[in-house]
Amino acid sequence: MQGNKQTISSKQLLALMILFEFGTAIVVHIGLESNHATWLSILIAIPGALLLYGIYRYLYLQFPDLIVSSYIRKIVGPFLSWPISLFILAYFIYNGARNLREAGDLLIASVYDETPLFIINATMIFVMIYVLSKGIEVLVRLAQVYLFVILILGVTGILAIVFSGEIEFSNLFPINGGSWLHVLQTAYPSILLFPFGELFAFSTVLPLLNNPKQAGKTGAIAIIFSGLVLSLTHGLQLLVLGDSIYVRSNFTLLTTISVINIADFLQRLDAIVMLSLIICVFFKMSLYSYAVMAIWGDLFRIKSPAKLAAPVGIVVLFMSIFSAWSFPEHTNEGQKASMLMLFLVTVAIPLLLFLVHLAKKSFRYFREVSHNE
Amino acid sequence: MNKTSSAERISTDLELNLNRLKTAFGPSSDLIFKRISFQGIQAAAVYMDGLIDRQIVHDLLFDSIATLPDDHPNESLIQQLMAQDLSIINVQSLTDLGQVISAVLSGDTVLFLEHYEEALSYETCGGEVRAVTEPSSQIVIRGPKEGFNETLSTNVSLVRRRIRNPDLWLETMKIGSVTHTEVAMMYLNGTAKQEVIGEVRRRLQNINYESILESGYIENLIEEQTYTPFPTMYNTERPDTVAAHILEGRIAVFVNGTPFVLIAPTTFFMFFQSAEDFYHRTDVSSGIRFLRYISLFISMFGPSIYIASITFHQEMIPTPLLLSLASQRESVPFPALVEALIMEVSFEILREAGIRMPRAIGQAVSIVGALVLGQAAVQAGIVSSAMVIVVALTGISSFTTPSFNAALSIRLLRFVVMFCSAFLGFFGIAMFSILLTAHMCGLRSFGEPYLSPLAPLQADELKETFIRRAFKRFKPALLRSSSRKPN
Repeated sequence: MQGNKQTISSKQLLALMILFEFGTAIVVHIGLESNHATWLSILIAIPGALLLYGIYRYLYLQFPDLIVSSYIRKIVGPFLSWPISLFILAYFIYNGARNLREAGDLLIASVYDETPLFIINATMIFVMIYVLSKGIEVLVRLAQVYLFVILILGVTGILAIVFSGEIEFSNLFPINGGSWLHVLQTAYPSILLFPFGELFAFSTVLPLLNNPKQAGKTGAIAIIFSGLVLSLTHGLQLLVLGDSIYVRSNFTLLTTISVINIADFLQRLDAIVMLSLIICVFFKMSLYSYAVMAIWGDLFRIKSPAKLAAPVGIVVLFMSIFSAWSFPEHTNEGQKASMLMLFLVTVAIPLLLFLVHLAKKSFRYFREVSHNE
Repeated sequence: MNKTSSAERISTDLELNLNRLKTAFGPSSDLIFKRISFQGIQAAAVYMDGLIDRQIVHDLLFDSIATLPDDHPNESLIQQLMAQDLSIINVQSLTDLGQVISAVLSGDTVLFLEHYEEALSYETCGGEVRAVTEPSSQIVIRGPKEGFNETLSTNVSLVRRRIRNPDLWLETMKIGSVTHTEVAMMYLNGTAKQEVIGEVRRRLQNINYESILESGYIENLIEEQTYTPFPTMYNTERPDTVAAHILEGRIAVFVNGTPFVLIAPTTFFMFFQSAEDFYHRTDVSSGIRFLRYISLFISMFGPSIYIASITFHQEMIPTPLLLSLASQRESVPFPALVEALIMEVSFEILREAGIRMPRAIGQAVSIVGALVLGQAAVQAGIVSSAMVIVVALTGISSFTTPSFNAALSIRLLRFVVMFCSAFLGFFGIAMFSILLTAHMCGLRSFGEPYLSPLAPLQADELKETFIRRAFKRFKPALLRSSSRKPN
């Protein structure tokens, strides 16, 4: 029973992808440029996201058994592949740490104002290390269970908002107070990269899929479903909060939920936001850490990457604390440096690989054709 | 212990054989030697008093053997005895003293004959057994009231009576180097997966332990993971439950000397289904099953949610309720965790005392429990009355779990969750739940994922876990999967 290669089914992949996409995006403000038309920008970003995922899928189908660092080696050769893979590795660590930081900061902002950030982050990392050391199979099964939890929480939250009577449809209009260019700019590249482009981290998971043909469909369903839900969530937040609060709030979903008051009994359903954030962030961070473990294990030829769970977890933990002194600094980093890196890792590198591979393939094809003649 | 004599063959000298047996059994006075002679030959019957049915032995020795007609002079005496029509008693010929000893120990009567190198063993086991009574641990309102008893053959027959099918196969083996306990595995051939049958058989055969006194020993010795709070094998004393699980392709393990039969592979959700679910109407059963999951949640998280909301998340409690809670807790000098621990521990003590104490003092304990620990503790300002309500609700909820050993796990885990919630509030509870779910996702019971059908997800079967589907559309999960793929 042991020693078999671990495999995951497309349903499990779908669950993990959806939770990953929700990640922090469902709670924090995404796509700052277009301000209140975020929900629209999310919808606009979906086609681009599908296209981008098409590139990931193409690369995966060319090398269905290899994770990202291995096929980079095949495509650009060993010398160039090392720095590229290391860069991706570093970025995945950093992004995992960013997620953790956001979750920790939200918890402190909402409830745990006297608990040190370190304690909260360390707790999450401890659980993550346990899960990852059990293997990816446990992680994806866990994702299936918690997708249900998230859906139940989500439906409860939406129903509570609807019945609280706080929805003001006038907040929606004018649909776009700013310029349409801004809406487009928010969608491309900002929302395309975060959260959709981040699916690139799944290039370390796809080779475990038991049916490679399902990869494209699963990813597309995940993108469309999570895109619609994100758009709905952010639309609801706008409807409840109105333009000015929505734009200024750090954790918009938390602000939204806190206005709920049904019959003076159901008030302050903060726990729903907290739980969904914890769960989604947990899976996103775990997947990033898994990606790091996989790439690390591949680069340094480590036989059982499961042993890397603890070292990776500890690095992520400390990076989440030391990367920024305060939450504003963290957000600032996110908007400037992180976006550039995100662009490089999730768009530039895959596109480059795609083009090089295509060129090599057609070159080979033409050489064969000319050879035959 | 009998290693030296076990390889010895039976000698032609009757006295030598009997002396050897006397040496092997030492001073045991319940080993009976009965000397008889027939057709001019000295013979001796050996049996263990208490393991045999006296009536059968009497009939055998004095009606059948002693009056053996001398009408086949060409055949040897052994052949004549073997050919004798003894209605339902099994006869076997033994050549080895070790075999004789184990036959005597399992309640056979062994007949030695002067000048013969063979002995005959007659199956005469009997003796006192407990009657088939209503099971005490898994009670149903509607459904059969029979429960297993401590005899393996009775237990097997109770299941056989329910599944009259030649495909119901039984494999018996003796386990325990000292106790030689009879253990039997029963399954429906063709329905149970071959690899699971093989795995159970292999693990049973690999048991290397001195004594098997209860099926719990077997459970501990063959389960996959020793260090887990969750039971990975189901046990029951209800024949109808065993029959239902065998029909679904599971394997039952009977152990002689206990009414508790093990069932494998086991999934977590099996522990929350009662046999009665299948005897009532679908809608009623589904509703009750749902209620059971709610009480599972309460019995696990009840006190910790209270602690978390009192310590960390006061804003979530409606203000009037919060004020009343605060005024109750005003006189209580302890933090919520300590308060909860005091009440929970005393409740658990009461419960444990309720199981162990003699029946006659039951009244006293309930008075102590209700009055002293409930009312007086509140009046003395040791705990708040809200805490009493929470603890009482939690305690009652944990009784709805039909399986006692799953309820035990939940009982234990509840304390861990309480600490988590006292340190980190809802965040602690959520993190602990993820940890626990991950642990359960990694558990397997004889290759079957423990959380199946929730993870890995099988939507059809998951519905059946929560809703008891109508019989017209019902086909048990494992049956369906094995008929799809005969592996």
